[in-house]
Amino acid sequence: MAATALEIRDLSKSYVVNGAPLPVLAGISLDVAPGEFVSVVGASGCGKSTLLRLIVGLEQEHDGRLAYDGRPIDGPGRERAIVFQEHRLFPWLTAVQNVEAGLARSDLGKSERRRIALEHLALVGLSNFAEALPKQLSGGMAQRVAIARALVSRPGLLLLDEPFGALDALTRSHLQREVLRIVRQEGLSAIIVTHDVDEAILLGDRVVVMQPHPGRIAEVIVEEEGPAREPGTPEAVALRRRILHRLGED
Amino acid sequence: MTAGLAPRVLRFSLLPLALLALWQGVTAAGWTDLREFPAPATVFARALGEWQSGVLPEALLASLARDLAGFALGAAAGIPLGLTLGLSPWFGRLVGPTFDSFKQIAIFAWIPLFGLWFGMGESAKVVFIATAAFVPITVNAWAGARALPQTLEEATAVLRFSPWQRLIWARLPAALPDIVAGLRVGLINAWLATVGAEYFMSVAPGLGSVLISGRDLYAMDLVLVGVLVLGLTGVALDTVASRLGAILIRWQ
Amino acid sequence: MTSTTSAVDLPLPSGAVARPRRLFLPHPRRLLPVLEGLVLPAVLLGAWALTSHQGWLPAQILPGPGSVLDAFRELLASGELGDHIRASLSRVILGFALGGGLGLLLGVAMGVSRAASEIIEPVFVWFAQVPPIALAPLLILLVGIDEALKVLIVAKAAMIPLAVNTAEGVRNVPRQWREVGRVFGFSPARTVFGLVLPAALPTVFSGVRTGLTHAWLTLVAVELIASTEGLGYLMVWGRQLFQLEFVLLSVVVIALIGFALDRGLNRIEARIGAWR
Repeated sequence: MAATALEIRDLSKSYVVNGAPLPVLAGISLDVAPGEFVSVVGASGCGKSTLLRLIVGLEQEHDGRLAYDGRPIDGPGRERAIVFQEHRLFPWLTAVQNVEAGLARSDLGKSERRRIALEHLALVGLSNFAEALPKQLSGGMAQRVAIARALVSRPGLLLLDEPFGALDALTRSHLQREVLRIVRQEGLSAIIVTHDVDEAILLGDRVVVMQPHPGRIAEVIVEEEGPAREPGTPEAVALRRRILHRLGED
Repeated sequence: MTAGLAPRVLRFSLLPLALLALWQGVTAAGWTDLREFPAPATVFARALGEWQSGVLPEALLASLARDLAGFALGAAAGIPLGLTLGLSPWFGRLVGPTFDSFKQIAIFAWIPLFGLWFGMGESAKVVFIATAAFVPITVNAWAGARALPQTLEEATAVLRFSPWQRLIWARLPAALPDIVAGLRVGLINAWLATVGAEYFMSVAPGLGSVLISGRDLYAMDLVLVGVLVLGLTGVALDTVASRLGAILIRWQ
Repeated sequence: MTSTTSAVDLPLPSGAVARPRRLFLPHPRRLLPVLEGLVLPAVLLGAWALTSHQGWLPAQILPGPGSVLDAFRELLASGELGDHIRASLSRVILGFALGGGLGLLLGVAMGVSRAASEIIEPVFVWFAQVPPIALAPLLILLVGIDEALKVLIVAKAAMIPLAVNTAEGVRNVPRQWREVGRVFGFSPARTVFGLVLPAALPTVFSGVRTGLTHAWLTLVAVELIASTEGLGYLMVWGRQLFQLEFVLLSVVVIALIGFALDRGLNRIEARIGAWR
């Protein structure tokens, strides 16, 4: 196994606005190790979502190097899965069918697919809702299905684009811990993009603080295991203050 | 809620009964202007008579058969065309503007031309009805084929669907509500066109000719029977269509 | 608004912004779609011209583009075309005003009061499904074959969509807004004019658009029945004399006016519905 799962080297990206290039990401460099959970935190407009879209391969034009497992990223691939802020389930498919959609490119037989999909629904605690349609699920449940769909193709890297932003605080707290458990249990690398500092602290082995105009990395904070990650402990409060201070600079 | 049922039945039947009473009153008063206007009882007697003699059922069946033949033809042409317009950007650019111009032609404007081009028989009528159904069915299928939201489009990209999977699993299901809506409008249009075809084109068995013979014989009761049956058949067609459509898109 | 100006908000999934390269492409690229759209009409026009030039179809079946153009010039010069268009448009406007007004009132009644809608609906649903043309024999017996016949049939066609849309628009005014009205103690008049109607306006207006389209479609049919002027009459006349160039000309003019009506209302609708 390589020491680096995801390699980002001097990554820059611009859009064209009114005929002039507008940089959104400038000189981003970041390595993510296998099994590592990285939080990216920043105000809206700092390009953090663009960063994820580049990594998952939804956007491709950029300067600099972007590689997973040593291979440059040139489009979506099985080894990189994403959960969006909105669940983006197909409304015409049931929960289990939506999870099966994550196996679109596998050569597994029908029953095998169904079995694996059900397994992943169980992983997110929704075994009883396999036949439910998305409209019948609550926001949190729909997002769990989306997580199961992302995991079902056994990716190495899980990308989370503010996946809990639209949920209520209690549901969010549940899902954060559940995602953490699943990522650890499956030995995945993960990147979560968020503007919630507490969430970044709770989930990340490292917290990448980004600043806007253009989006760049202000600081990378390595977190200790243990109480520093639990919201409310003195260590976490200090860390929170430090990150907020960083975010306040411009 | 059962307590509210009786007043509701009352409400539903209020206006029909009131109109019936008005109708009866007007004819009974014998106003000179409306002497030719038959009383409700006369019309219902006429309807019953025409039904029992087999004239009305035969006309209804002939109109329905014509309607459904035209509708089927219009749908068979409209759904593939609309989907191709929406799914292939190249085809959409090539053919789209032409179709957009074509659909601006008021449907009845085709009658003089179709009569000449497709003969005076059944085929001209069916082509005319098909054209009436074809336009909304195509418009809706076209819109439907573009209905997959960008967010789900990206989801299919992330899940690495093949183009075929994207079509079967995402694009077509996303298009289905629009296609169903188009079929429903198409069915209504086809019914309008059926009456128009029977009224304006050559004489043939059907509800349209019931109307025409009623007019020519100055038999107002027969005309009213025709109007009543036309409306009720339209309601029945639309109800069936909306039920079937709802089954197809239960996930909404 | 183009994608170039909307690209300021960055973390967005808009496809137009995601492919900024397009904007650098040279000018002809933008012209290409327009040209592509003209290919098929050009081919059809060519085939039509060729068919009539070679005499494959007799002029009584399909006159050539040239004779349609001649017919156009002739009628334009004599002023007849303008007269026919004026006659048709005035019928549509009159019928639409009558039927549309009635539909609006019915729609407000059905939208505001559940009882009213339960009373009106049984008859309304049936009446909506009666093809306007089917009323012709009945109305001919009642009011004769003059203007009243045409205007009434057009009014019937325009009334249905307006009533349906108005009812829906009024019914679907969000509860939150109604609550705002209650909190601020709106008078009934203010509730209707300041809250319900503005909220319902986009839906009502799409009913206006559909109603006018239906009115125009129906007018053409009505003028086929009995008239001495109007675009439908022009068609009947051309057909009877086997001068199909006049029929084709009418088809084109009918389509153009239909297009103009729809496009104009579309513009207004976009402005009215801007807040949605």
